Amino acid sequence: MKTLSVLLRIELLKTAKRRAFWVAVGIFAAIQTISTVDGVRTAQRYPNMTFALPDSWPDILFGASGPALFFAAVVMILLFAPEFSWRTGRQNVIDGLSKERLYAAKVIVLAGLVLLFLATPIVIGVGGTLFSPSEGGPEIIRSTDLSFLGGSALNLLLFGSAALMLSALVRSAGPALGVLFLYVIIEQAIGELIARGSETIRGVTEYFPFNVAQDLGENLVHYPEALAAQNAFRAERGLPPLEFLDVKVLAIAALAYTAIFLVIAFLSMRKRDL
Amino acid sequence: MPIIQTHELTKRYGRRAAKSVLAVDQVSFAVEEGQVFGFLGPNGSGKTTTIGMLVGIINPTGGSFQLFGASDPKGLLAARSRVGATLETPNFYPYMSGRDNLRIAAAIKGVGRPRIEECLELVGLADRAKHRFATYSLGMKQRLALAATMLNDPELIILDEPANGLDPQGMREIREIIHILAGRGKTIFLSSHLLWEVERTCSHVAIVRKGRIVASGTVEEVVSGGTSVLLRAADEDALVAALEGYPEATSVRRSDDGVLVSLGSDDFAALNRYLAGQGIHLSHLAPHRQSLEDVFIDLTRGDFDSMTEIAS
Repeated sequence: MKTLSVLLRIELLKTAKRRAFWVAVGIFAAIQTISTVDGVRTAQRYPNMTFALPDSWPDILFGASGPALFFAAVVMILLFAPEFSWRTGRQNVIDGLSKERLYAAKVIVLAGLVLLFLATPIVIGVGGTLFSPSEGGPEIIRSTDLSFLGGSALNLLLFGSAALMLSALVRSAGPALGVLFLYVIIEQAIGELIARGSETIRGVTEYFPFNVAQDLGENLVHYPEALAAQNAFRAERGLPPLEFLDVKVLAIAALAYTAIFLVIAFLSMRKRDL
Repeated sequence: MPIIQTHELTKRYGRRAAKSVLAVDQVSFAVEEGQVFGFLGPNGSGKTTTIGMLVGIINPTGGSFQLFGASDPKGLLAARSRVGATLETPNFYPYMSGRDNLRIAAAIKGVGRPRIEECLELVGLADRAKHRFATYSLGMKQRLALAATMLNDPELIILDEPANGLDPQGMREIREIIHILAGRGKTIFLSSHLLWEVERTCSHVAIVRKGRIVASGTVEEVVSGGTSVLLRAADEDALVAALEGYPEATSVRRSDDGVLVSLGSDDFAALNRYLAGQGIHLSHLAPHRQSLEDVFIDLTRGDFDSMTEIAS
């Protein structure tokens, strides 16, 4: 418990003093605020458009599943990779932290970032509903909203753990960010190439890490009624229906990838010299 | 019980035998409590790698070591709480102030705020403590590193090239701090290639060359380990050429005063006879007290590109 408190204290100090962290969080919060203000204004202008709970949860949680993904990954890399290039991680170990505890400290940072980038859109969005003229429903949150919330959290955890792993492997912020974004592009390109092949092989692409993350952050996966409406709309236009893996399968895949990324990062930290 | 004990400690970089580099090769030494131990060697001789293994940032590939008698991971972690160390250049968060950087080190070492202020005072950084580390001069960075090292009032202090990049005043301050710490009974492990600095400061010394220890003991033992003689003759070039063929000569070196020869034996008469036989008549032959620098250069000959590296 004492170790945990020490790790938390040093990471809080490192993070709170880092200007890049506040800039990233500030930009993210600004985007969420603009989106919320837009929702409130629309509700004020057009009475048939609502901005109230629980109907607005998909809009509010979009912030936590879309842009948050990249912000969390970027901040994770900015808070971890420079520990190698500045050799401060090495100094932490010289000062008495083991390499394993240094790794544990960064897992704490990951957990903190998931909470932060999940909580920020919720706080701003829910705060916005207080200024909206729209009437809310009888319940504040539904099971589908909770599913989207969980999916967004797993989504952030998966992408954040990938960023943590790349920081530990690449050990430099710029190249780690480059590899992360390059991977996203490559995965999509491979997915499109494979999609031209057989149906069986095409199914495999659905389990690719970024695809799992994208699907978990897709509101249609969590709201069956919205998916049905969307597919009816597509059917009218002769388009094939949208299909997604089951939420539980996606959640298990996300947790499995997260575990794999964290184990790889741990082994890299333990085996490599600082 | 030695404070540090290494047994055939080895570090090899790279897995393929052909491409691998043996940075530390079966190094064994012991540092006893209260010693000021100098660890000498040219750049790239394995000094920092050896220290890196002791402080846990580099994984050894062979051999073992003990710190305060501990050798298992848990015991070593506890033992390292009794150590203060700084390696090569000071490594701190550039965006944080000197004080905040010490707060991180203090949190890891389990030390309170008053001790941070004490250490800042001790190294003369109290006035600049609130400024960002990135704005510090190299001398200030070194002093901050020394402050971080002393935070937990360690029993063992490991300093790797602490005078690197310092001006003469800065070097003097570091030397004074080391003297103060040694006077308080701290065990100090000092890695350096500033030989006169080590000779003045250390009680014991180990000289490392290409990853291997080539000499160790008290400074006196190491310095008096060989016989050295200063020679002069009318034709110094001929003298040097003749000495290079003398079987007992382990090293031949020109100096401002003449030619310095390290000998395998102290039979000066035999040397004189040999040189006379070569047609060289000496104008001067006198035993020479070797300095640590003489011994170091003899033992690490060929490891330097130029003598300026030793001087730097």
